[in-house]
Amino acid sequence: MHEMLGNQLFMARNYPSATLHLERALQAHPGNKAILRKLIICYTQIGETERALDAFVSLIKDDIDYIIETNPISDDCPCPEIVFKLEDDLHGEEASYDDNLVLGMLWLYCNAERAWDYFHKALTQRPGNSKIKSVLTIIKTRIPATNPIKT
Amino acid sequence: MDFTTFPTELILDSISEGVFTVDKNFRIQFFNRAAEAITGHRRENVVGRFCKQVFQAYSCEDECPITRVLQTGSNITDFTTRICHGSRETIPIRLNASVLYGNQNDPIGGVISFRSLADNGHADPSFAEASRFHGVVGRSKAMRQVFDLIEEISDSDATVLIQGESGTGKEMIANAIHATSRRRDKPYIKINCSVFPPDLLASELFGHVKGAFTGAMKDRPGRFELADGGTLFLDEVAEMPLQMQVQLLRVLQEGTFERIGESITRRSDVRVIASTNVNIDRALQEGKFREDLYYRLNVIPIDLPPLRERPEDIPHLVKHFLRKYSTAARKKVHEMEDEALDCLIQYPWPGNVRELENAIEYAFARTTESVIRLARLPLVIRQYHGRYHRAVAPHTEEAWHLLALLEKHHWNRSRVARELGIGRTTLWRRMKTLGIAHT
Repeated sequence: MHEMLGNQLFMARNYPSATLHLERALQAHPGNKAILRKLIICYTQIGETERALDAFVSLIKDDIDYIIETNPISDDCPCPEIVFKLEDDLHGEEASYDDNLVLGMLWLYCNAERAWDYFHKALTQRPGNSKIKSVLTIIKTRIPATNPIKT
Repeated sequence: MDFTTFPTELILDSISEGVFTVDKNFRIQFFNRAAEAITGHRRENVVGRFCKQVFQAYSCEDECPITRVLQTGSNITDFTTRICHGSRETIPIRLNASVLYGNQNDPIGGVISFRSLADNGHADPSFAEASRFHGVVGRSKAMRQVFDLIEEISDSDATVLIQGESGTGKEMIANAIHATSRRRDKPYIKINCSVFPPDLLASELFGHVKGAFTGAMKDRPGRFELADGGTLFLDEVAEMPLQMQVQLLRVLQEGTFERIGESITRRSDVRVIASTNVNIDRALQEGKFREDLYYRLNVIPIDLPPLRERPEDIPHLVKHFLRKYSTAARKKVHEMEDEALDCLIQYPWPGNVRELENAIEYAFARTTESVIRLARLPLVIRQYHGRYHRAVAPHTEEAWHLLALLEKHHWNRSRVARELGIGRTTLWRRMKTLGIAHT
């Protein structure tokens, strides 16, 4: 029941309520990629950035393509709208560590290189963060050699 | 004859009630013949799509009947709502909903059965009359001229540019243009050009091939391809980056484009409707919008008047929204007291029809009786009624506009100045000149 309710609330962009049901659904189906993919977005939208990052790390370690191949239309993914609004809200100002993490996670649903850029910025703000280092390593595997990443 | 061996699909296709099922992700899995006839949607076009994308009912997000069954454990019967017909008009239906359970007694989907109320005498005739032009409500002269124009151009494939302030209903007018056109049975694709970052917008419009850029993991058609044979609605077109404007101009002139990362030239037969709330003359002067593209889009211009210029439409819109929310909430609030209606008519509505709908929804939620009273309207509207209408009574259009902006920003002059692109002292001088003061 919780997965279906969570799916509907996610479609309605009711992220706080969707989170509650998707978490319960994940308890019943640990590692379910479809639930995790939505839950990551929900966490970023309710300010639970670290929990989003934990879920994000577990999913990309398992199957990064599951996020990369998200289609905004056929998967009803809200990420393109969310990242645009977030970037617009920054008004060109320096993004905070949390903002960089959120943008990094959400950009992976749209563009791996942009995701890498934001995680790289987050790492410069928190050098030595092992979680971000592992994220960068995984994302790097999906960036073609023709698009060398900045270091 | 052994009737027990009849395929379920055959049986469901033979009944007059519409039936469709969704999976646990709310993607449509089955759609019977009657559902096709009632909704105007072809089975092959809806199976696999999210039900909310197909029906676009206002109940989809807040009052999804299947969700209510999940939450309460009881089936829904005789729930009345409105859904979007294939012609883009909304139609009233009455439905029953239940949840489908799998072997583990886990919900695996839902089933909806429904009948149309549009043609069996159940529909409220005054509702249909008020929504008389493909869901667009308006009886003012200005709106009737717009409706007449849409009917006149129904045989044309010429591009249309809809201009109007935010909230005036540009998208609904675009829907009406498509619904009355020869292409009404063909795809109708929309894109909001202001929502996508520039690098994603090109991919959204023209598509890409695998490996075209980082993150392009597979081939994907763009919206010009998806709309082939039909209509493409470019919302907020003036927000499009200049480089993209060049590419759009080429498609409009030649009907050809390439997917990103591919050299194959593709052709698409698309009728384009564009809209903007930007002052297009200023955008042209400032070089933010290409003149050649403007002339190519502006073959049939439609200017939507702001709500403050057609206050005679407000009572009809109020009635329309009250019926809409009464149906959705199954709460009978069909009237508004005169003083409350006067208040709405006097208010300048900087957010136009969208703001009016929000105000009605707010008042509706706060009302426990059958009539909406003045005290239930949003504070900003009541304050305007009390403080400014009698005291200020602006006489010029410029004063009305400025007052509306000040209301919109709760009299935060910095924000108003920013929106107007002027300094705070200039704003202060302008307010003084126009006789507007915060009392």
